[in-house]
Amino acid sequence: MRSSAITTTQNIADSILQPVLTPSTAIDIKNVTVSFKTAKGSYTAVKEISLSVQKGEIISLIGHSGCGKSTLMGTISGMVKPTAGDVTANGKPVMGPGPDRGIVFQNYSLLPWLTVYRNIYEAVDAALKDLSKGEKKELVERNLKSVHLWDHKDKLPGQLSGGMKQRVAIARAFAINPSILLLDEPFGALDALTKSNMHVELLKLWNLDNREKTIVMVTHDVEEAIFLSDRVVVMNNGPAATIKEIVSVPLDRPRNKRDIVHDPVYMNIHDKLLSLLIDKFSIDDIKD
Amino acid sequence: MKAKVIKLGWSVMYFVAGMLLLLGMWDMVSRITKGEIPSPLATWDTFKEVMKDPFQNEPDYKGIGIKLLSSLARVGIGFGLGSLVAIPLGFLLGSSRIMMNIINPIMQILRPVSPLAWFPLGLAIFQDSPKASIFMIFICSLWPTLINTSFGVSNIPQDHKNVGKAFGFSVWKYIIRIMLPYSLPHIFTGLRLSIGVAWMVIVAGEMLSGGIGLGYFVWEEGFNGGSVGKILVAILIIGAVGLLLDRLFTSLQKRFTYAV
Ligand SMILES: Nc1ncnc2c1ncn2[C@@H]1O[C@H](COP(=O)(O)OP(=O)(O)OP(=O)(O)O)[C@@H](O)[C@H]1O
Ligand SMILES: [Mg+2]
Repeated sequence: MRSSAITTTQNIADSILQPVLTPSTAIDIKNVTVSFKTAKGSYTAVKEISLSVQKGEIISLIGHSGCGKSTLMGTISGMVKPTAGDVTANGKPVMGPGPDRGIVFQNYSLLPWLTVYRNIYEAVDAALKDLSKGEKKELVERNLKSVHLWDHKDKLPGQLSGGMKQRVAIARAFAINPSILLLDEPFGALDALTKSNMHVELLKLWNLDNREKTIVMVTHDVEEAIFLSDRVVVMNNGPAATIKEIVSVPLDRPRNKRDIVHDPVYMNIHDKLLSLLIDKFSIDDIKD
Repeated sequence: MKAKVIKLGWSVMYFVAGMLLLLGMWDMVSRITKGEIPSPLATWDTFKEVMKDPFQNEPDYKGIGIKLLSSLARVGIGFGLGSLVAIPLGFLLGSSRIMMNIINPIMQILRPVSPLAWFPLGLAIFQDSPKASIFMIFICSLWPTLINTSFGVSNIPQDHKNVGKAFGFSVWKYIIRIMLPYSLPHIFTGLRLSIGVAWMVIVAGEMLSGGIGLGYFVWEEGFNGGSVGKILVAILIIGAVGLLLDRLFTSLQKRFTYAV
């Protein structure tokens, strides 16, 4: 009798605590394994990865090419179905892609027969059905201007440079203004100056939302990762890649790009990340 | 600009050379058959005679222009209806493996059937020979469009599909913004092949069905009327119109192919 009463109390306590705990978790990846069927049999890209991202957090994924960063991102966006494990986004299990999770694809994924303007408009039109036509147009215009592509709005993707395409893809994802933003090497094709501008635009968007927007970004740029992120997730090389280490970036915001590079905390993290990445080089060298 | 003019000049020269070769051989055949096959010059006279009043529209005699237009109208209706069925069906087959697996065997059986075999069936169904020839055109202009459309749709790159998924495109938006534009060049290839088949088949169809049209003209006024010259004139008109139709669809295809 007595023990069952205790259990009941425990259950009640749990159920009270649960709603308090869950809303702050935006993305919850639990024991996720992804295997692909290939001609030579099954290839395990990532293995038993667990990662929890808080609401409003900015996370970077870094790791060598082919280690499974895009694959892991795919499990959050719903484009890739985990072979084992579960992914929860905004408290709901991820069953497929949805407009609550905006994506900038690594290969831009623009529709080649639509102009820059239409590429964004169609996405806005599909994802934000409740807006009026005028509001949608206003949204497209604002976001195209913020990536400095308004003058190029009538061009087709085939007439754009790599960096311009990337900015269209960014404007498209930003225009939807999803609560979770997934960016797969979003700034990889940009020159240093444009990249800096894009960082500012990204943080503006994040600030506008009371910093409640959750951002997961894949990057190869260590400085960028530190400047933008709260935590940097370093992955091991594949196959069957896992998380090697998660490095926190306890730098105050707003961060000033020029100032933080002299901050000892920054320099520490920078060194640590580099050694985590280069460490892998030396292991590879020995193997070869 | 200059290179373009030179290129055009050359292709005109080749065309003229080809025509001269054709006329030469034709003339030779005419001499060998001792005029049984009329010479190009004699055929030219027949041509002028046939073309004298092309839009003559008496109850008992229709000019060649009227005949051509009524053949074209039949082709247009049959081909149009065929395309209206083939394109959506191609979308369905191209996007569903299962549907493809179900429909494919049916297609494999029906496709090699000679268009002429459909004519009596059409006649039995509609009890009307012009309708039967439209039915025949309909059936045989289905296949190339259907096959090409479904091929195009089944090859939509994953990247494009991902856009639709990521931004929650409705089925309709997916069809008109991704499926249709991507497969448009393939659809036009199919349409071009279909119109070619349809134009080829209409002549045979009209020979069977009678009535007003180029096919019946060949049969009735050419063969039965004992005028090989008229047969030759009809062949040339049919060939030229077929070429024009093909060119028309080629230019449509070019127009609607996006630059990647
Ligand atoms: N659809 C697929 N089928 C088979 N193998 C795949 C598929 N997608 C990814 N892989 C494999 O999974 C591994 C991880 O790929 P992924 O694209 O996630 O790497 P990445 O870390 O994003 O690399 P990069 O930095 O070059 O973008 C690679 O070995 C890749 O070949
Ligand atoms: Mg990648």
